[in-house]
Amino acid sequence: MDGACLELAGKIPAESSPLAGTDESALVRRAQAGDRTAFDALVRLYDREVLRLAMRVVKSEDEAADLYQEAFLKVYRSLGRFRFESSFSTWLYRVVVNVCLDHLRRQRSRNEVQPPEQEPGEPEYFHSLADPNPGQHPEQALRAREIGGRIHAALEQLTPRERMVFELKHYQGLKLRAIGQLCGTTEETAKNCLFRATQKLRSCLADLL
Amino acid sequence: MVCEEIEAKMTLYLYGELPDSECAAVEEHFAACADCARHAATARRLQQLLNQQPVAEPAPELLVHCRQALEVALDYEQLGWHSLLRDWTPALSLSHPSGIVAVVGLVIFGFGLGWTLRPQTGRVHTAAPAQASSQATLADLSGARISAIRQVAPDPETGGVKITLDAEHRVTMEGSLDDPRIRDVMLYALRSYSNPGIRLDTLEALRSKVDTPAVQPAFLYVLQHDPNLGLRMEALNAVRKTDWNPEVRGALLNVVEHDKNPGLRGAVVDELSRRALQQHDLQVIQELQRLAETDSDRYVRQKSLSALVALGAAGP
Repeated sequence: MDGACLELAGKIPAESSPLAGTDESALVRRAQAGDRTAFDALVRLYDREVLRLAMRVVKSEDEAADLYQEAFLKVYRSLGRFRFESSFSTWLYRVVVNVCLDHLRRQRSRNEVQPPEQEPGEPEYFHSLADPNPGQHPEQALRAREIGGRIHAALEQLTPRERMVFELKHYQGLKLRAIGQLCGTTEETAKNCLFRATQKLRSCLADLL
Repeated sequence: MVCEEIEAKMTLYLYGELPDSECAAVEEHFAACADCARHAATARRLQQLLNQQPVAEPAPELLVHCRQALEVALDYEQLGWHSLLRDWTPALSLSHPSGIVAVVGLVIFGFGLGWTLRPQTGRVHTAAPAQASSQATLADLSGARISAIRQVAPDPETGGVKITLDAEHRVTMEGSLDDPRIRDVMLYALRSYSNPGIRLDTLEALRSKVDTPAVQPAFLYVLQHDPNLGLRMEALNAVRKTDWNPEVRGALLNVVEHDKNPGLRGAVVDELSRRALQQHDLQVIQELQRLAETDSDRYVRQKSLSALVALGAAGP
């Protein structure tokens, strides 16, 4: 489990990190004692991955920034309760995944009581302005945007837990055992979530397959 | 294995979560069962399709923004009442009478403290900067966004505290687009502000002034240099309505030569073609000929050729 989570954190090469050669546990202990510099160093070690995950879960950069802040504030507030029973990265990602899950649940309940602000299939405002691949042919770019919109809409059909399990498996490449623990559930439940998620996606995107 | 078992295991198989022994059995089944092999192919296509939405790398600016915002939030966290109350929480367990007494005591203490300090409550003492000694009042800070807290220093003599902070005020400006102060802020936003939504709003607001000498250069700047394709397109739409002059021509020629987006280059070819029809501008015709022959994109080459045919500068 820890190895799998560290695999996620390990996407940041240690040599390029300002913490290269520094003992992470010592940093955590210093942060627990109230050393802000140590906490900042821990944030910088993991925050790119946290932001990347947040960007996958939400619609806009502003929302991703909110999730980033909420997650690290939670980590800061509860750091005193970290007892080194797992690796720090595992513990941190558990907090981050919980924040993402809460966000998805809130979003889902909002969507249930409010009409959508835009027509189904209509591209996001900033999405339509974005120019992610300036060299791409306009027709290809349009097609890619349409497919992106369809995939986004299909992912929104998943329950929050299915969505998190799918994101962590398909896009982050974690093992189901680790995903189960990060989501506060069992490996078996994570397996079932992944199965249901892929079934739903296959059904939503059938005409593109 | 039977087909029902394969169906249940296919997702795990495709995601590498099945033990080797079971993988072999699944593959054997695929070799023998066309239906399941077809399902597996569909599932693989789904994976490939989903991979077309790769995990986006956060922009460095966004990461920096997040870190700065977190710094400020943590400053508040360290200094705020929220933090203070949380530290007191264990001592204030309401299940014990002493907890209730402590809460009541704290409320009375706080009320008394507030009453005692009543004449001074309008003032926040700030540490004197190196060169200018300034004191900000609470009224000054009202509505301000604290962007950084530089120092929090207890003063043992007075028992008070000196706080050095950077505060930004939100300012609302109202006025005509002809007001140079309003216009300067908007031109600054167009050229330098990072939020594309604000830049777009500014572009829309200034659109009616695009022909004025003060505003037109900003539109031409956006057309040539804005990182956002949507804004460059909007700037082009506005520039279409301007009079033809060397600056407009220079900007359009610069876009067809250097912009990486073929969609925008194609739209500018249309505009150049329209202008060339009206003005019979030889330099524009030469540029269209160059594009028709050498542009890296087939769509732009075709558009340029069609424009030349329409201008009578090339055979159909």
